[in-house]
Amino acid sequence: MEMIEKPVIEFKKVTKKYKLYKSDKRRIMSLFTKKVKGRQKVALNNVSFKVMKGESVALIGSNGAGKSTILKMMTGVAYPTSGEIVVNGRVSALLELTSGFDPEFTGRENIYLKGQLLGLKTKEIKEVEDRIIDFAELNEYIDQPVRTYSSGMKARLGFAISTNIETDILIVDEALSVGDAAFKAKCKQRVAEIMAKDGVTFLFVTHSGNTAREFCKRGIVIRSGKLVYDADIDSAIAEYEKTLGLRKSDHETKT
Amino acid sequence: MSEFINIVKDHFTWRTQIFKLAVSDLKQTYSGSAMGWSWAIIRPSVTLFVFWFAFSVGLRVRQGPDGFTFFQWLLAGMVAWFYISDIWKEGANSMRRYKYLITKLKFPVATIPTFVSISKLWVHVGLLILVVIIYMFYGNMPDVYYLQLLFYMLLMFLMGTGWALLSATLASLSKDFLNLVRTFSTAIFWLSGIMWDPKTPRLQDKEWLQNILAFNPVTYIVSGYRDSMLYKVWFFEHPARLLIFLCELIFIWVLAVWVYKKAKRDLPDVL
Repeated sequence: MEMIEKPVIEFKKVTKKYKLYKSDKRRIMSLFTKKVKGRQKVALNNVSFKVMKGESVALIGSNGAGKSTILKMMTGVAYPTSGEIVVNGRVSALLELTSGFDPEFTGRENIYLKGQLLGLKTKEIKEVEDRIIDFAELNEYIDQPVRTYSSGMKARLGFAISTNIETDILIVDEALSVGDAAFKAKCKQRVAEIMAKDGVTFLFVTHSGNTAREFCKRGIVIRSGKLVYDADIDSAIAEYEKTLGLRKSDHETKT
Repeated sequence: MSEFINIVKDHFTWRTQIFKLAVSDLKQTYSGSAMGWSWAIIRPSVTLFVFWFAFSVGLRVRQGPDGFTFFQWLLAGMVAWFYISDIWKEGANSMRRYKYLITKLKFPVATIPTFVSISKLWVHVGLLILVVIIYMFYGNMPDVYYLQLLFYMLLMFLMGTGWALLSATLASLSKDFLNLVRTFSTAIFWLSGIMWDPKTPRLQDKEWLQNILAFNPVTYIVSGYRDSMLYKVWFFEHPARLLIFLCELIFIWVLAVWVYKKAKRDLPDVL
């Protein structure tokens, strides 16, 4: 029987513009009157792509190209200015691992809070609680407020929570390079484990090609808010590095 | 209107999380300090003591209005004020405080002021029970009039939550707005007839003042608490004032929903 597969992630002509105002006062004024106008900065320009179930895709682009904007909209945190975004399934995002905690809560309380916000029942969280604490290697610190954690501890907890909750879509930022070498290796292994599961869609965000090649089969290159290339990983990296070279020589001629 | 329905829907879908966040907000306010929960009582008691001392001892106002001792009379008003001042200040700060729910997670932003408001309401209920017990020592036993405290509490909660949604949204866009709100907190306290009796004969001929007070929602709630516990007056005995309050309540919510609708897409970007 042939099945028409629905994409798990679909961006349809997505544009994101940030409104910039001279002051916060003008931002408030702009709610009430059309006379006050701000400047607009285009962060993403008419981006369309589809990701199918079980695919592993790298989003490649230099800093400021619009990768984080794409991720924020994918996770439903930010809204597109125009266009449509469809996401089917639970997203677990490993971005900015150190944030997204309530600093006054203990590590354990934060596990529950995050789980609840992701729509898990208390019972389900209890089942993974020990695994998370074990993985994060926090030991007795788990019952201390998160504000007392070092950034490495926060990142470990963030990683442990995001990778131990059942997900359909796993998004990993290059922020993976947290902690010491041993923990890094552990993270990579865990990501590989999740990817080996059936039907988990994987998105990797990076500004360098090498790690992407390890995990991904497909690459999407983003440059200045536009999708410029979308094909297999090797040619995507080649394309990305070519433009990097271009930019470098640009820079050299200027200086 | 459709935005209002969305907000109500979000509240329903996320109701368990809202209550959990309210509990955690409450815990956070008081846990983490050695004396913990006792702060919920100590703080208002100290405020109350200071005002009682300044007026009764300093200014020699022993006798409150209408035959009550000043302390008794003050108590009923202050218990309402503690919630109002909490939601006035913390409500406006709620979205900034729970920034991570807006910028890091997918969460219905409009419910943030609500769970903060619920958290403050629980403190209020606790204090109110204490006030009722104190009144019993004075020989003022709870009667059927006390039931309308629930009515005034509901009005106060709805007004406070609507205000919190409006002010939190604006405060997210501009920190100046937050400072502005905080600055006015003291002014509202002294202008709303919490420390002095709006019905005192001296002020009756000042028509402009009476008009302002009639439109002041804080005065309405504070007077309502006094009517229920001290004066034994039903809320329907002042239908005009109730009507004004309800109109203001609707106005605040319409404005809050409208502003939220316009600003919600920008909130994750500006915070």
